[in-house]
Amino acid sequence: ASGSILPKSYVMSIFKHFAKTKVASDVYPVVSDILQRYFDRLADDLEAYSAHAKRKTIEVEDVELLMRRQGFVTDSTPVNVLIEKFLPLEYRKLLIPVATSGNKVVPDKRR
Amino acid sequence: MDEQEAYTQRLKAAVHYTVSKICQSTAAECEKEMSRQAVAAIAETTFRQCEIFAKDLEAFARHAKRHTINVDDVKLLARRSTALSSHIQQKSEELAVNNQELKEKRKKNAAKRKSKEMEGNEADEAGDTEN
Repeated sequence: ASGSILPKSYVMSIFKHFAKTKVASDVYPVVSDILQRYFDRLADDLEAYSAHAKRKTIEVEDVELLMRRQGFVTDSTPVNVLIEKFLPLEYRKLLIPVATSGNKVVPDKRR
Repeated sequence: MDEQEAYTQRLKAAVHYTVSKICQSTAAECEKEMSRQAVAAIAETTFRQCEIFAKDLEAFARHAKRHTINVDDVKLLARRSTALSSHIQQKSEELAVNNQELKEKRKKNAAKRKSKEMEGNEADEAGDTEN
């Protein structure tokens, strides 16, 4: 309702990247509206999933479960594959544990 | 592998039978007819939907760190469609009430049985002392 959630340039650059054709600038209001609805639903689902696991905090598992329900994560494509495919290196480093010298795993596994 | 296939066929046949029964009653209700292909298509859809349901329910139960799927998981599965979720909510409440009644009955029965056993034992003991 109150404007856009993400910067216009960011949304449009991503949309153009995946559309792979010329995109008119007047699609932005529609995309923004859809994004708003998407995030609303996302929040609602995540809330239900964390409540289902008797938690008040949304954790990685909830997001993973959501992506499984959405059909992005399947048995043949685990989350890590999606992370590698779609996220830039700095975020990959945060999300995927990597073994380094001295028997250390970076970043530390939560839980 | 062959055995597995035969098993799947048997399951499918059972689903098809029930689906055709439901279709018949619905068709009679609406005074319309349904072709055999339509019924078969619904049966196949039901079968595949069950696969999806099973996987989702399993994921939900695992998510809540359980090994047993329960009503909460089913409710979570149906959460997105309002009519279905309210229907399931209602049914689960009915079930809960029924279960409670059953439990109470069982308790009463158990209590009765216990008292009967006690009486029986007492009678036996009485008999023993007499002998």
